[in-house]
Amino acid sequence: MNLSLPFTLNDIADYFPFLKRKPGRFVTPSGAEVHAIIAQFATPADVYHAAEKVRDAGYTRWDVHTPFPIHGLEEAMGIKRTILPLIAGSVGLGGAAVGFLLQLFISTDYEIVVQGKPFTAWEPFTPVTFELGILHCAFATLIGMLALNGLPRWHHPIFNSKRFLKSSDDGFFIAIEAADAKFEPNAVKALLESAGGTGIELVES
Amino acid sequence: MSHAAVAGHGDHHGHDAHHGPDPRVLLSRENIYLPEGAGKGVSTILLGVGAVCIALTVAGAVVHGPKHALASYLVGVMAVMAMSLGAMFFVMSQHLINAGWSVTIRRQAENIMSLLPFAVALLIPYLIAQLLLPDDMKLIQWMRSDMKGDYLLQKKAPYLNEPFFVIRSLLYIGVWLYLCQRLWSHSVTQDRTGDRTETVKARRMCTWGMFAFALSVAFASFDWLMSLDFRFFSTMWPVYIFAGCAFSSVALMAIVIAVLRTMGRLTGVVTQEHSHDLGKLMFSFSVFWAYIAFSQYFLIWYSNIPEETAYYLHRREGGWEVLSALLCFGHFVVPFLILMLRKVKQSSLALAGVGLWMLLMHVLDVFWIVRPMVYASAPADTSASGVAVWLDIVAISGIVAIYAGLLIRKVASGVLIPLNDPRQDEALAHKNYV
Repeated sequence: MNLSLPFTLNDIADYFPFLKRKPGRFVTPSGAEVHAIIAQFATPADVYHAAEKVRDAGYTRWDVHTPFPIHGLEEAMGIKRTILPLIAGSVGLGGAAVGFLLQLFISTDYEIVVQGKPFTAWEPFTPVTFELGILHCAFATLIGMLALNGLPRWHHPIFNSKRFLKSSDDGFFIAIEAADAKFEPNAVKALLESAGGTGIELVES
Repeated sequence: MSHAAVAGHGDHHGHDAHHGPDPRVLLSRENIYLPEGAGKGVSTILLGVGAVCIALTVAGAVVHGPKHALASYLVGVMAVMAMSLGAMFFVMSQHLINAGWSVTIRRQAENIMSLLPFAVALLIPYLIAQLLLPDDMKLIQWMRSDMKGDYLLQKKAPYLNEPFFVIRSLLYIGVWLYLCQRLWSHSVTQDRTGDRTETVKARRMCTWGMFAFALSVAFASFDWLMSLDFRFFSTMWPVYIFAGCAFSSVALMAIVIAVLRTMGRLTGVVTQEHSHDLGKLMFSFSVFWAYIAFSQYFLIWYSNIPEETAYYLHRREGGWEVLSALLCFGHFVVPFLILMLRKVKQSSLALAGVGLWMLLMHVLDVFWIVRPMVYASAPADTSASGVAVWLDIVAISGIVAIYAGLLIRKVASGVLIPLNDPRQDEALAHKNYV
């Protein structure tokens, strides 16, 4: 029985061009696209200083992978502050506004006498307004964080490298992606070598 | 906490605390002491202004009646006492949780705390006046002899009677002065001897000290503020007063630290990271105050019991509603929105600006609590003695000016950070890794 579909994903993408993956600029002799070039470093200090060099060289699409957090690494990498607080704050305030208006609308549209209090008194609205603000803020923070991190995803091409698995044990890695505008294999290799990287290898996509 | 050993990385991203300058440079005499005679002129001026203002308050008592003057005076005393009590809470809480980051700012909290005897010394004449003055000059209503027949007061008489009131007041004062003296002496003894066990002793005394502090502040707030109107009761009251204490003390600390840093002191010792955390505390106590203030109002609004609602009804008319609204925004919304910005929290100067605003709001908060009491019993009083705003301004600013003058002298008189604290390295290396 043939279970294959009568069309491929690329056929669909013909009608939705934005779905089409852009072909990588760099392809290995075997025909696979290049995902990144990685280099291993021996100590946190080595990878820290190497990160400063990569940052100063002007790369933007790259990452450092370490078994544990290294304090100050985000500064060495030149990572800017996340916009997540803005997302959380604005959605939170929006949620609070929704909570308030919801009650205001209900209380004016369907008036119920409670202890003879005014229908539109702001006092009883406050807890619900507050709670909805918190709820929206929490959702925005979680979902915003996942979205900014590109999560969830099934797989990441960097795991095609067997050596990279040491990054969850005792290896400190820098990976410069082929998607970086400045990416040029020989220059990247030279930079990582001069920064003290060992076992430099090319990871296929 | 392991700072993954990263040696001497780049210096183009601001200071980096854990590899900052040599501690010997940071703790040099020029950095942690004020120059000889610093602040002397300013404090003398402040003390002079304060003395004049107090004299004017006495004159005001003659013109407008002692009741009005005593109310204005009580606002000032309670406002500055709250700052010292809040600072004592800060010191004790930092000892209790063995906090490392706050060691280098602890001495400023201790300086503010050590003015507690001054606040107490100001309060005692007021309490004596309440006990001795004739009925129509008494601010505390239940002490008036014509109130003794009141049904509610008779129910509360086992608690609200003069002898017990005096005993309780002496007890609170005794507990505070003892705690204050012990905390101060542990800290300065360690400066001198370098004995690390002083830290342990201070922590140990804070275990029971915090209980004693909580209970004494709670009952003092009942006795000295809530019982101004003996019909009113709120179990949220002590928390509200405590929120004001904590709120005002961190604001004052931010101001003191900003002044010291502007004078070129504490460079690298109190960094933007400490300011950042102090700013977080200012933010949180502003929110905490709003939470407590709203909860108290909300429950009273809902349950609608006449003895309770009278308190808020009185503050919703006759001009007080403007102050009530101002407090909602000034005491909560304004600091809340401004302190949300990380840049503000990290700048000691910006934080001091917010701190000044917060102190003003704190004084207005105490004013809002105490001052309407002058007319609580007989609103018709307004025509008789008149509302003297100048008397309020003079009495409050007089006490605040003396307090500020004494604080300047206290800060200038010693080392600006605790010396030889075992957690000092942690404080010097403090950094917010977010």
